[in-house]
Amino acid sequence: MQIRDYLIRRLMVLPILLIGVSIIVFALTRVGGSPIGIYMSHEMTPEEVEELEDRYGLNDPLPVQYFAWAGGVLRGDLGWSGVAVAPVTQVFRGKLAATMELATAAGLVAVTLGITLGTFAGARRDRLPDHLTRVFSVSGSSMPDFWFAIVLLIVFWVYLGWFPVGRSDPAIWASIAHPTGLYTIDSLMAGSWQAFRDAIWHLVLPAITLGLATTAIITRMMRSSLVEELNEDYVDAARAKGLPERLVLKRHARRNALIPTMTVIGLSFGFLLQGTVVVEIIYQWPGLGRWLADAVLRGDQATIMAYVLFTSVLFLTVNLAVDIIYAYLDRRVVLGS
Amino acid sequence: MTSTAAAGVSAEGATRALVASVQDLSIHFKTKAGMVHAVDGVSFDIRDGETLGLVGETGCGKSVTARSFMRLVASPPGVYAGGKIDFWSSETRAAGGGPVNLLTIADDEMLDIRGNRIAMIFQDPGKALNPALSIGNQLAEVFYQHRSDELLEPLGPNAPVIIRRAANQESGKVERVLLKLPPLRSKAAKVREEVEDHVAAALAETQIPNPRKIMDRYPHELSGGMKQRVLIAQALACNPDLLIADEPTTALDVTIQARILNLIRELQQRRRTSVLYISHDLSLVREISDRVAVMYAGRIAEIGRTDDVFRQPLHPYTRSLMAAVPSSRNKRGELAAIEGTVPELIDPQPSCRFHTRCPYAAGVCGEVDPRFLRHDFDHGVACHIYDEPAELGIRPDELPSYERRTR
Repeated sequence: MQIRDYLIRRLMVLPILLIGVSIIVFALTRVGGSPIGIYMSHEMTPEEVEELEDRYGLNDPLPVQYFAWAGGVLRGDLGWSGVAVAPVTQVFRGKLAATMELATAAGLVAVTLGITLGTFAGARRDRLPDHLTRVFSVSGSSMPDFWFAIVLLIVFWVYLGWFPVGRSDPAIWASIAHPTGLYTIDSLMAGSWQAFRDAIWHLVLPAITLGLATTAIITRMMRSSLVEELNEDYVDAARAKGLPERLVLKRHARRNALIPTMTVIGLSFGFLLQGTVVVEIIYQWPGLGRWLADAVLRGDQATIMAYVLFTSVLFLTVNLAVDIIYAYLDRRVVLGS
Repeated sequence: MTSTAAAGVSAEGATRALVASVQDLSIHFKTKAGMVHAVDGVSFDIRDGETLGLVGETGCGKSVTARSFMRLVASPPGVYAGGKIDFWSSETRAAGGGPVNLLTIADDEMLDIRGNRIAMIFQDPGKALNPALSIGNQLAEVFYQHRSDELLEPLGPNAPVIIRRAANQESGKVERVLLKLPPLRSKAAKVREEVEDHVAAALAETQIPNPRKIMDRYPHELSGGMKQRVLIAQALACNPDLLIADEPTTALDVTIQARILNLIRELQQRRRTSVLYISHDLSLVREISDRVAVMYAGRIAEIGRTDDVFRQPLHPYTRSLMAAVPSSRNKRGELAAIEGTVPELIDPQPSCRFHTRCPYAAGVCGEVDPRFLRHDFDHGVACHIYDEPAELGIRPDELPSYERRTR
């Protein structure tokens, strides 16, 4: 089977998965309480509550309610957010850009740093760089993110004043156009070095905090799978061909060590999204995570459903991409049906 | 019987030019329990164009000896504790040069020898190929590494530097992008075509049908025998002076073994490559080798012409080995196992390594390392049975003898 066929087959499964996810999201939120909780107050009479329930179709059978909701989602209508006092879709766009910018920055840092550090350590097994890397990855993955975030905040914002909090300097932000909502990209498109610098400056602390645990996990995985691959016969065979150690490592061992690491990278993306909630609250980052926290505390179900549905779709997409890279790295994957 | 002490076997019968001469090679492994003397003072020669069979049980150090020719013993834990391996490549010999010591030459000189002047066929073809790279790409590496001049030939003497670097596998990330863009793309494609021609020709030599098709395949798509052919093609790609075959048929089906063996033999004869053939299979070694070296517990027990060693084995270990192999000479039910087990090689005391299992061992065998003795013109043995009592400082009746069974 060719990679193309494999791709098509994987893409065909995607809609089925999405339908499944949407049913689970709907069912779970419904278990969590009445969607009109946020609109009710103690002064309301039972008749008024009844009227509200009728208005939102809450007395219809559950499948009817599900299709009403799912139909809305397909039309791009995610409901009304009681927290933001605006349609969910409208609020979503701006906050999504903020979160995606943060998560992408953290993810890029984690993947590049994790693979580089892991390769560096694995190739120097049981020597000093390996031990230092181990200290980093064990402490990195065991430090609670809220604690680490606060420490960074105190040191680099309060004492040293090197990095700011929030997302950007409002004056600078207002001075440029923002077609994408991603500040780094927008400032580059506007050709404003000052705005770009400002965007990056604001990203540093939250991205490091968010990416730390993931970096640690990827480093660990990369290191151990590289050590394993370096023991394989084909590595010695590559050396016996006269290849310099640089190529033995890069073209042979690292390529194969990336296969199990890719799986971990895909899975840790969920980890990253989950981390945005804490990081956004601590660094005053106006993204989805902070909005979600508010929504959960106040029972804003439309927002919760939109968030969970969206992150599930994102998670599925990322893992599909991982599977495709996986198939590219290891042709044996394509064979299995 | 002449019992001249020899520093190595190199003095013995040097009628042919040598390709390699191993002298007193010692390779130890550091472990928590102590130093394991995996290879402990091994000496032998490989003559030009011959096949030398290196036989011994699993763990006797034959693979480590073979790997040390290319310095492939991982260190740590391995330690090159002593001795040397002299190697005469066809190039230096044509220029009238002397040998190089493979254990001490600079790393870049070693890279130049690996896969080019000395090549290796591995035991398990399923593991010796990278599962993530196509067959064509894996073979191409050898040509890029050692034959880049030939690959650049069609471009004439003024090939751009970036192309030159690509043909030597030195391209960086930026260069790799540039190679895909118009001014360089056609030139890079020419190099690519040239390398594909080389690879296809190498595969065709091992009688692989449809070499061009195989080049796009991945290892998991080929059978074991096919993979071993690919590895043979890869090993012989640069016409090496010495081919090290480390049990190349052990992992294959019996029916395919014979074909692979014939292929190696045929290619060797056509190219006059010297072969170091490692195996635990006595009958196979007898068939393929000109000379045989028998290894036991990190040492050479006996070395000689195949016929001499098999017809008139000198060392008690060789004799026990022969008795343990079914042949037309042994009657049914007369196979003899060798009592006991291979000794631990952690920080060993001077002694014959075989004395704990030897039916003829005497007191001296457990106390003194046996010297390597030349028995006749081309046949050497390391055993006290053939030694001089005066040299050892013992009475003649204290010497072990085949007349006196001690266990």
